[in-house]
Amino acid sequence: MGVTDVVTPVRLEDLVAALAAATPQTRLLAGGTDLVRSIRTPGSEPDTIIDLTGLAEFAYVRLDGGTLRVGATTTFTALQWDPLVREHALCLGLAAAQVGSVQIRNAGTIGGNIANASPCADGATALTALGAEVTTIDGAGTARTRPLGEILLGPSRTSLAHDEAITEFSFPALGPEHRSAFAKIGSRTAVSVARLSAALVVRFDAAAGTLDDVRVSLGAVGGAAFRASRLEESLTRLPADEATAQLFAEGCVAAVQESIPGRYSLPYKQHAAVGLAYDAWNMLALSPPCEPAWA
Amino acid sequence: MTEDLQYVGGSYPVHDVAQKVTGELVYGSDFSLPGMLHAKLILSTVPHGMVKRIDASRAEALPGVVKVFSHENSPMDRFCRARIHPGQDLAEHDETLFSERVRFVGDRVAAVVATSRAAAEAAAALVEVEYEELPALLTVDEALASTDVLVHSTGNVAYESEIDKGERPDLGGAVIVSSSTSTPRVHHAALEPHVCIAQGHSTGGMTVWTTSQGVYAARTVIAELLDMEYHRVRVIKVPMGGSFGGKTEYIIEPVCAFLAHATRRPVKLLLDREECMIATMVRPATWTTIRTACTPEGVLLDFEAATTLDSGAYASSTPDYSIHMCKKVTKLYRVPHYQHQSRAVLTNTPVGGACRGWGAPEMAAATEIHMDRVAAALRLDPVELRLKNMVEPFDTDLVTGLPLGDARVRECLERGAVAFDWAARRARPAGRGRLRRGVGVAAGAHKNGMFGAFPEASNMSLKMNEDGTFELNASLHEVGCGIVTTMKVIVAEVLGVHPDRIAAGEADTATTPFDYGTYGSRVTYVVGECARVTAEKVKARLLEAAAELLKEPVVHLFTRDGAVHVKNDAERAVAYRDIARLSEMRHVPSIAASTTYYAVSNPASYSVQFAEVEVDCATGLVAVNDFLAVADVGRAINRGMVEAQYQGAVQMGIGYALYEHLDVDEQGRSGIDGFKNYHIVNAPDMPDIQVLLVEHEGDDGPFGAKSVGEIATVPTAGAVVNAVNNALGTELSDLPLVPERIIAALHAPEEVPACSSC
Amino acid sequence: MQLLLTVNGMQYEVEARPTARLLDVLRDQLGLIGTKEGCGEGECGACTVLVDGRAVNSCVMLAVQARGKDVLTVEGLAQDGELDVLQQKFVEYGAVQCGYCTPGMLMSAKALLMANPVPSEQDIRIALAGNLCRCTGYSAIVAAVKAASGHDATPAMVLPGEAEELAAEVSTDPETLAIVQEVVEAAEAELIQGTPPAPEAFPSPGAPAMPPGAPTAPADPEEGE
Ligand SMILES: Cc1cc2nc3c(=O)[nH]c(=O)nc-3n(C[C@H](O)[C@H](O)[C@H](O)COP(=O)(O)OP(=O)(O)OC[C@H]3O[C@@H](n4cnc5c(N)ncnc54)[C@H](O)[C@@H]3O)c2cc1C
Ligand code: FES
Ligand code: FES
Repeated sequence: MGVTDVVTPVRLEDLVAALAAATPQTRLLAGGTDLVRSIRTPGSEPDTIIDLTGLAEFAYVRLDGGTLRVGATTTFTALQWDPLVREHALCLGLAAAQVGSVQIRNAGTIGGNIANASPCADGATALTALGAEVTTIDGAGTARTRPLGEILLGPSRTSLAHDEAITEFSFPALGPEHRSAFAKIGSRTAVSVARLSAALVVRFDAAAGTLDDVRVSLGAVGGAAFRASRLEESLTRLPADEATAQLFAEGCVAAVQESIPGRYSLPYKQHAAVGLAYDAWNMLALSPPCEPAWA
Repeated sequence: MTEDLQYVGGSYPVHDVAQKVTGELVYGSDFSLPGMLHAKLILSTVPHGMVKRIDASRAEALPGVVKVFSHENSPMDRFCRARIHPGQDLAEHDETLFSERVRFVGDRVAAVVATSRAAAEAAAALVEVEYEELPALLTVDEALASTDVLVHSTGNVAYESEIDKGERPDLGGAVIVSSSTSTPRVHHAALEPHVCIAQGHSTGGMTVWTTSQGVYAARTVIAELLDMEYHRVRVIKVPMGGSFGGKTEYIIEPVCAFLAHATRRPVKLLLDREECMIATMVRPATWTTIRTACTPEGVLLDFEAATTLDSGAYASSTPDYSIHMCKKVTKLYRVPHYQHQSRAVLTNTPVGGACRGWGAPEMAAATEIHMDRVAAALRLDPVELRLKNMVEPFDTDLVTGLPLGDARVRECLERGAVAFDWAARRARPAGRGRLRRGVGVAAGAHKNGMFGAFPEASNMSLKMNEDGTFELNASLHEVGCGIVTTMKVIVAEVLGVHPDRIAAGEADTATTPFDYGTYGSRVTYVVGECARVTAEKVKARLLEAAAELLKEPVVHLFTRDGAVHVKNDAERAVAYRDIARLSEMRHVPSIAASTTYYAVSNPASYSVQFAEVEVDCATGLVAVNDFLAVADVGRAINRGMVEAQYQGAVQMGIGYALYEHLDVDEQGRSGIDGFKNYHIVNAPDMPDIQVLLVEHEGDDGPFGAKSVGEIATVPTAGAVVNAVNNALGTELSDLPLVPERIIAALHAPEEVPACSSC
Repeated sequence: MQLLLTVNGMQYEVEARPTARLLDVLRDQLGLIGTKEGCGEGECGACTVLVDGRAVNSCVMLAVQARGKDVLTVEGLAQDGELDVLQQKFVEYGAVQCGYCTPGMLMSAKALLMANPVPSEQDIRIALAGNLCRCTGYSAIVAAVKAASGHDATPAMVLPGEAEELAAEVSTDPETLAIVQEVVEAAEAELIQGTPPAPEAFPSPGAPAMPPGAPTAPADPEEGE
């Protein structure tokens, strides 16, 4: 049993110092909902735990011009109830509200959700649709900002260096003409890891009655959440009606099929994608609630 | 007498509720002793193989590690985890403390004993085990086909039986319907993990604190295995967080007792959730085919069934379990001819054994899914079909020859159908959209103890204290279903004194009299009747004493509100506490009695349940929206607890129908290893369960009471599956109805997949 | 490492492994065994405690994360021997069976009522979604939480407690008492002289072997389980 050291930085400088001393066996600790279990496996004890609990300044949601900034240690509970998130990133709030249980949402953070890099991470699906960028800091004190897609490489794999911590997520705030939604299929109504998740962002041109700036991301299919760009293009400038809902659903099915060809879970997920798509669509409240047409 | 019940039929919390809500109750997992050591198991990582080498040197070098035990340095005598008493039939001694030949992923290979749990865990990770793998038989089909690879040398079929009763009538013109149903291997999921504490004494004796369902059985297994005289082994039942049958068999108790014996120290063996799931026991998976013949009007003429059960790697109680699956249908339906073949098959998978209902939920699922097929074939309403075939009160069970007693299953069905508004709901269209509704009904039967097999009996004594309170001395095993309270209420009713004036403790082989324990649906019916009889004796003594004191003949006296009263003289009464206080020397020593009560019958308990579901055809998720459970309980001793038991049992049955399964992959490993992927139903998915009690007094239990805890979960899965089939027009019969299976049935019925997690 | 924790209003200084979970410190070091471990992976809620008023799973939280915060466990609910209203309602509504989930349920419910004093049934079920119970089917638990929040739609399940019932218990009237006293004195005088009491003495405990007349059943050797 190696003896683990715990450092609890309270200011950014302390964090940088701690990161400077980090080794590949060093672990950052945010809410602990993923980390605590993993370090309990004998043989996986970290040499040092950098406990982010002390960094109060990392937990925030701020509107900065047209950009919404979310601090890395913001909990899901905070996101779920945050008025700025509701107004400018509803899909993120909806995703946060569906993470785990109250207990998990109270402790779990958005930074941990991304850094943990589970293909089922609900936060990743929402942030992908929002076009989020990730700001990090490293042991040299260098801050870097890069697209979320560059961080998430696959299941449990990120491009984060061992001396690098996420400090912030930022993305263009959605405006009043935007609508967004998040839907998830688990195996229970509540407290269930996603078997499929989707976030949908559209801008609704009320005058024309059509959609643009369409963004669709899918989670829990393949290694990490991804944007279904072909689908996004195909929906652009279509009316917000039932026919479009159906195209959206079909596009989701195609995206699922392309992303996990031949996988054991495909037969189920390709069908479930239809339900998921309609759930997300109906949440936009742009057309009367509709459902798939069954033969 | 029933119109005048004062305490029976009320609602009471579990006896230790105050300690439970404050957190002060010391459960087995909370228990500790000075100088206590902690044990951690090392489990096989291969499904079948020989342990070639165990290197414990690195583990034993860790500070705090006392010793590592394995087949190399431990007795290799075999034991049967399901042995209840020394002379038991069908007790296969096929297991050792630690295996040299491992038979499933999860088989015990070794145990580390250390001064702290952390040290034991760290050391366990350092024990190196090398296996020589053998071909593994992971399914019953593989096991049945294999002639060279055997799980045990006695062959892969652990037990086979056939029941053939009655006469097959002429089947000319009969409607023949066939079905096959499978039920999954599931985890009991008691919230407290398995735990045992044992202390070896330097005198050679030992004390064991167990969270099991039978201390005498635990003592049998431990004493026989360690070759100790019974009186040197004291087994004490301590508070436990649920069992559901998962703690009726003695799996970790012998191991912990051995470790304590070998180290002469107190040792605690506490499993984690994954260990509970794979290394203790599971409800066995079953496959049942049924073929019935009935008249075009729907009267059953013939019932033939065949069941295969997956025993897992050790026979445990599965032979008996498989026999019992043959004894359920004829408790429920009248059939002129009943034939049932069953077999329990050994495989290299987790060990099967006792689970709430003991074969009844499995068989009820198969039977009730089948009955809906028959109803469909005949275009009969499912309720109507069942009414044409159900047993009547005081019928005889064709298979066991035992009287069924005051069997009120028809009344359950009839009253339930009205309360649930069955006809109207059934007539409502399922809908053609994304969400489809359906309703389903299922019935089930279970038993009341073990009468019919061996002298089913219980034993206890009751005395009045010097202040007029009472103490019941009995081997009670509270698993959370309120047994202690039940006994108190029964005694209270007889004595006419509030239940809180009666103390009752739990089992301890050193101080409480023999009793088998809490299983077999025997406690209320047999142990409860023993309590009633014992209390009657004490009451007789009380009345005699009071007669002398009041100078009145006994026939002029009655008991109520903690006093002996004189009939027709409202003024004259003497309180028990005064009898005690004033006649401490004269009467108190003799106001006591003990009883050995032998059961005289084993009637059936029944439940009929109605489910309404809504199926999301897009995602395959099923919501149970409404549920009614009707219970033939005879008499509710503790009404609130009967309802609560039903609510919990239905929750378990819904999980059985829709979510729960513990499959192994091609490597014999369970991909499902925690509550993360083994989903039990949580609060948002549970409807409020309505419970309707059918009460009467035609049987031999206390005040007419019959068993509740097991029967309550028997018909649930069948009702839910039938409701889903009603909603979708499908014939699903492989449990659980996970979304994949529902989606496949809707889109590609020919390729319904096996279960898997995300 | 040295940790300073505030638990149930008390300050504790404990020496713990840096990777010790909050759960381990509460149970093993502070002896607060009311907080249970059912899974160790954040799924069952048996280990739920409140940290700064919010429900968390103490099995997926290191003790160091609770430094400087207020931890409330089930042991801290009752005040001066007076049960919290939630505890009372759990008793009255039969919300407790094996009780292993109960402390966690109580803490989740407590956090809910602190944030939302009049929750809807749906709010309650969502708040308790992370607390598994295998015994109750949740109905009684949900009813208890509702009752604690002032809803009184469903009547309490459990009969009035000991105090009220026992108050109804009959006491002996003075006249009878006097007669009884006389009889006893006379009888006990005899006893002291060595005259044995009339009724048979307390039969010895310990079960006899199967008495010859004990009922036997139709032979069916397989019925047992
Ligand atoms: C019962 C249960 C249910 C769950 N349900 C869901 C669910 O429905 N949806 C879902 O998406 N997730 C779910 N999770 C997973 C988990 O709660 C989330 O992934 C959570 O967001 C992790 O955050 P945390 O703050 O707890 O991270 P931690 O556990 O503290 O850390 C997780 C990982 O991220 C690293 N890390 C943390 N913060 C940073 C940072 N700022 N910079 C760099 N690296 C960092 C850590 O080193 C660690 O490797 C569930 C977990 C549990 C136990
Ligand atoms: S023990 Fe913490 S959630 Fe189960
Ligand atoms: S009362 Fe047993 S788990 Fe809830």
